[in-house]
Amino acid sequence: MFKYIALRLFHSLFVLLGLSILIFFISRIMPGDPARVALGPLATEEQVQKLRVEMHLDKPFPVQYYFWLKSVLHGDLGRSLYTRRPVVTDLNEFLPATLELVLFSFLISLIFGQVTGVLAGYFRNSWFDGLSRMVSYIGVATPAFAVAIFLLLIFSHILGFTPAVGRISIALRPPPRVTGFIILDSLLAGQFKTALNGLKHIILPAASLAVAHIAQEGRVTRSSIVDNMQKDYVAAHVVHGIPTQSVMFKYLLKPSLIPTVSIMGLDFAFILANAFLVELVFMWPGFARYAVTVMLNKDLNAIVAVVLIVGVAFAIVNLIVDIVVSFLDPRIRLQRRGG
Amino acid sequence: MPKIEILSTVLSAKRVKLSKGWYKFSRNTLSVLGLITLIIIVLAAILAPYITPYPEHAGPYTNFRESGQPPNLKHLFGTDTVGRDVFSRVIFGYRFSLLLAVVVISLSVPPGIVLGLVAGYTRRRWLEVGIMRVTDIFLAVPPLVLALAITAMLSPKLLNQMMAISLMWWPWYSRLVYSITSSLRHEYFVHDAELTGARKGFILIRSILPNCVGPVLTKITLDMGFVITLGASLSFIGLGVQPPKPGLGTMVADGAKRLPAEWWMTIFPALAIVFVILSFNLIGDGLRDMFAVEEI
Amino acid sequence: MPKDNPLLEIKNLHVRFRVFEGELRVLNGVDLIIYEGEKVGLVGETGCGKTTTIKSVLRVLPSPPAKITAGEIFYRGKDLLKMKRREIPALRRGEISAIFQDPLTSLNPVFTVGHQLQDIIKYSLKQQGYDHVSKKEIRLRAAVLLKETGMPDQERILKSYPVQLSGGMRQRVCISEALRVTVRLLLADEPTTNLDVTIQDQILRRLDELVEKRGTSILLITHSLGVVRNLTHRVYIMYAGNIVETAGTKDLFTDPLHPYTGGLLKTVPKLTGEGVSEGIRGRIPNYLNPPQGCRFHPRCDHAMPICEKEKPPWFSTGDNHRVACFLYRG
Repeated sequence: MFKYIALRLFHSLFVLLGLSILIFFISRIMPGDPARVALGPLATEEQVQKLRVEMHLDKPFPVQYYFWLKSVLHGDLGRSLYTRRPVVTDLNEFLPATLELVLFSFLISLIFGQVTGVLAGYFRNSWFDGLSRMVSYIGVATPAFAVAIFLLLIFSHILGFTPAVGRISIALRPPPRVTGFIILDSLLAGQFKTALNGLKHIILPAASLAVAHIAQEGRVTRSSIVDNMQKDYVAAHVVHGIPTQSVMFKYLLKPSLIPTVSIMGLDFAFILANAFLVELVFMWPGFARYAVTVMLNKDLNAIVAVVLIVGVAFAIVNLIVDIVVSFLDPRIRLQRRGG
Repeated sequence: MPKIEILSTVLSAKRVKLSKGWYKFSRNTLSVLGLITLIIIVLAAILAPYITPYPEHAGPYTNFRESGQPPNLKHLFGTDTVGRDVFSRVIFGYRFSLLLAVVVISLSVPPGIVLGLVAGYTRRRWLEVGIMRVTDIFLAVPPLVLALAITAMLSPKLLNQMMAISLMWWPWYSRLVYSITSSLRHEYFVHDAELTGARKGFILIRSILPNCVGPVLTKITLDMGFVITLGASLSFIGLGVQPPKPGLGTMVADGAKRLPAEWWMTIFPALAIVFVILSFNLIGDGLRDMFAVEEI
Repeated sequence: MPKDNPLLEIKNLHVRFRVFEGELRVLNGVDLIIYEGEKVGLVGETGCGKTTTIKSVLRVLPSPPAKITAGEIFYRGKDLLKMKRREIPALRRGEISAIFQDPLTSLNPVFTVGHQLQDIIKYSLKQQGYDHVSKKEIRLRAAVLLKETGMPDQERILKSYPVQLSGGMRQRVCISEALRVTVRLLLADEPTTNLDVTIQDQILRRLDELVEKRGTSILLITHSLGVVRNLTHRVYIMYAGNIVETAGTKDLFTDPLHPYTGGLLKTVPKLTGEGVSEGIRGRIPNYLNPPQGCRFHPRCDHAMPICEKEKPPWFSTGDNHRVACFLYRG
């Protein structure tokens, strides 16, 4: 088991390294002069040249990469050409917001996706099943930004249930920062009104991100349950006297969850990516909105850092998903061992 | 049996297979609906200059007297902030989306398939592992993020968008074809072909490739939807189709600033995107049924 | 052979399956009796309806596609088909038990063998009134059961997943599951068909021992006559949803009456090596549109005009030997 984890870690590290080389390479062969862009058209040639040397732009590519990698391993991701601050500082400020959003969204998609999937599977061909099928088709076909806009229109503008922008109302003071998660921090500080406010702000963007995945996971779970319901072992369990409740909710559920969990890694990637869109719509002050800003401003250092962070997050989630799946399905675990 | 008879038997067998395939596809009403919708959209896009009421609105056109009109008989989808007919622009917008999808798929699928075949079939471990590792690297980041990064570093244009997305789309096909090829690698029919001295290329094309057709075609159909979403998302952010060109994502972004009062500026382009993706998905579902092996 | 009241009596069972193209008339009036302590064989080729029959008895027929259109199944005098849903679990936990054909698919792949077996034991014991048996005792009992079926190293097996065990071991686990408590009736659906030829005999003999020891009646279902020869008292021959012949095992082999039975016997390869074993011409009928009258007549060398028109009733030829064939009319 540990050998498996170690192997996967090694693989991920290799992939991340390759990714860093790829993205660094692309960033450095792009047309345009990053130093000039950073300092603007009013800067003098000497200033630009000085920056160029500082950024090692005059050296051959592998050397540039070496310097960059060295600083990354020391925790220095360079200086943002746009905000003029170390990228790490920028990340520190914006990352928690996005993490809170993404995790919340993941949670929503998990709960709603599984519940609808399970119900649709058990009550196969009922009206619920048909309805959820229709809704899921539309859910999968709508890009996240479109969902965000539709939800914004309906719930904020028309119905007025939820606010349209930001993490908490301007009038409220944010809680003391412990984790960077506003809702959590508010609860920890006992500021329930703030927490509730934060919740109202997060629900719409999180839902926008979650819709496509509720649809997808729901369908996968449903067909998994329908498939497994017809398997021999379910009939065998019944014949041997296991009560229906236990068969449905224990013996049928566990194998049916496996395909869904397997796609959760990919779903997380898409949620993270779509955050780039949703944060724009809701003006969520997160890492993804920061990323879009730096991209629009050709802030090379920050762009490279952003891609890398996303790659790392994805790799971590994939590893966790793989471990969970091999817990759920012993066949995978055992086959790896060569058994 | 003389060659002509063999040929006609093979042809009639293929015809039977095709009609049987179509039968399976047509059993699914939704898929047929999707196909019809898609055909309509494609035709509309191709014939856009001829069938839209205001084809000149798809470019740099302004008429502030007509701006901000809600949907009416003269302008089915209303007009935008500078007076352009939203309906015509949406139809023209489909051109960009469909063009993007076609270009990306054409550029990325063939290399992806080839690499997948090679990686799955080769006996040289280093080649297999090498190709798959490179594939993994491209798959290490969600496609949107990578496409954003690459497009951002180039200049934001539709052309660059296409290049960027094509560059990172091939790995999905390598992986798919690789898994099919490597699982078939040890099957008897491949073995037999090898034993009778058939050349590797021949085996790949005749024995293994046909098995990939089903999943690959299904994936292509669903990918069209993904690529269109990706393109629309890039345009939405501002890194894709640039105004005044009528990219669907661009229109949604522009219109979003006018919510909720002038909702039609953003809602109709958004719905247009949903429709085209929905049709592709429905067709993909039907294809999946068509290629599914029937259980005895 | 104790012959008191029948333990199981199936009377005129008709079952249909709804499919896209229409209705499959699978069971066409099945009659079958098993007495206490008896070992009965049910022989028929794949697709003749054997599994459907026992699924009806166990009441695990998937009800939307399947429909029981006529007939009764009496177990110890009570009609199972008319029983209420909540009375059935009691039957499953101590009266009737079953073994299925494919041991790999009969065991849940994501739970350990021990987990499944122990859970089943727990519910059966509850049924018998032992509400709070400790986990340790249940585990012990599971180990004992495995040992009885001939498995070494029981602790390791209990902790294993089905995929880690060989086919023979899995089937032994299924046998343990079926015989975890002493049941009155065991329905064994082709218990060794999917296993290696080399261990088929072993498993069958072990099964036979266990059944005899407990005095359990067994309905041994198979497509092979050879299997029933030494292991049953009586045999039923089934074809396309009908029982066509029944007799004491010895009588059946020495004096097969129905043309189908004769054909089946001829297909058993002879050890003496003389001659090639013959098959029976034709194929099992299409259940969408089965033949009128006797369902075997299209394949029968002795078919008569009446065979196409009427379904043959039972004709008795002495000492418990009955056949549904017009050849023996009068």
